[in-house]
Amino acid sequence: MASRAPVATGRLLMGFRKWYYNMAGFNKLGLMRDDTLHEDTDVVEALRRIPENQYNDRMFRLKRALDLSMKQQVLPKEQWTQFEEDVHYLTPYLKEVVQERIEKEEWMKN
Amino acid sequence: MASLRKTQPLLKIANDALVDLPAPSNISVWWNFGSLLGLCLIAQILTGLFLAMHYTADVNTAFSSVAHITRDVNYGWLIRDMHANGASFFFICVYMHIGRGLYYGSYLLKGAWNVGVILLLLVMMTAFVGYVLPWGQMSFWGATVITNLLSAVPYVGNALVQWIWGGFSVDNATLTRFFAFHFLFPFVIAGMAMVHLLFLHQTGSNNPLGLNSGGDKVPFHPYFSYKDLLGFAVLLVVLATIALFTPNLLGDPDNFTPANPLVTPPHIKPEWYFLFAYAILRSIPDKLGGVLALLASILVLLVVPFLHTCKLRGLTFRPLSQFLFWALIANVVILTWIGGMPVEDPYIIIGQLASVLYFSIFLILFPLAGWLENKVLGLT
Repeated sequence: MASRAPVATGRLLMGFRKWYYNMAGFNKLGLMRDDTLHEDTDVVEALRRIPENQYNDRMFRLKRALDLSMKQQVLPKEQWTQFEEDVHYLTPYLKEVVQERIEKEEWMKN
Repeated sequence: MASLRKTQPLLKIANDALVDLPAPSNISVWWNFGSLLGLCLIAQILTGLFLAMHYTADVNTAFSSVAHITRDVNYGWLIRDMHANGASFFFICVYMHIGRGLYYGSYLLKGAWNVGVILLLLVMMTAFVGYVLPWGQMSFWGATVITNLLSAVPYVGNALVQWIWGGFSVDNATLTRFFAFHFLFPFVIAGMAMVHLLFLHQTGSNNPLGLNSGGDKVPFHPYFSYKDLLGFAVLLVVLATIALFTPNLLGDPDNFTPANPLVTPPHIKPEWYFLFAYAILRSIPDKLGGVLALLASILVLLVVPFLHTCKLRGLTFRPLSQFLFWALIANVVILTWIGGMPVEDPYIIIGQLASVLYFSIFLILFPLAGWLENKVLGLT
């Protein structure tokens, strides 16, 4: 039936996303998605704006991941970040920063 | 009271590069190839210097001077074999170093990357002119084929080629100036290598996770000074094994025949490290097109930073791009194989497809994969 098709596709898409999330492997190092973002100027500015506790948690996760990488190890399976538990803590701030930059660039054009 | 190594102007430079330099704790064996390239350069300069004491750059005596070095000069055979095989090891390290740069997104350090491409071109030019010096058949004919490519340049092509030759063909004037270039370029490379490090030390090294490693740095000494020393030992053992047990493994038998402008070898080909580019050159039937493709095969590296689309830095957490990376490596191996084959079926079509794939991976597939990976992770 027509009303079921989007839900099935949505579930399929989420299933694929979850599979890819696990394939990517950063969760095995206890990282969240937003931890893996390359620190360009926008990300650096967004990091300046996040609350201190979130920043400290991020630094802990990064340091733990770097240490695991140095030892060529991963976390025990029960400590892997789960797809459903991943928090996109940086994304709202990043969206704000990008929006501001775009507005500034538009302003400077005129 | 600060230590002398931190205050004395000269020692301070060495200290800031080799002792107190903050390095990521997790840089792996792929980060050894930078220092190994430095070792290769020093080894080539030293062995080259000793060869230059006995070599004569004249078409009548060059070949026999190399034979004289090999037979009469004390340990001349070893110096010659170390220098010839050292060039191969130089390129092994160069390709590993570039591969690391591509895989881990180190090219985002644009200053170091661009100087690196210049270094690659300098090393290739040095190796090319160096191979001419023994004045064997492959030395002469390889020089003839490659220098003739310059005639493809519109309007000034023929004049340019004769200017490079110093005459109307590859002859004595060419050999003497190639010797001068081969002696000079390594010192230019050494200077550029220092500029390369200057740019690198503005930001510090990348690391296998592509993350900001500011929270977990260790001093270069003792961790990476000793790790690099181990790398040196491994390289020297492998180089010595090749030079002592199979010194001619990577060489061409035709170069045991003195150069003869009247006899063209049936299969003219460069050393293994140039074969992939040679295959790309030959894949285009037009001379100028082939030359442009040859140049593009190296200069494509300069556009890689601008085609970086993914929000993640390296390929560590990007399985789709990892597949493409290894496809690129396999493709370069195929191009190397094709470059050593004669221009006949089925090698022609395989070479052409591999050449198209080479550029497609860099210019289309990597950016596309990065865009797709952003989408799947919900990063827009």
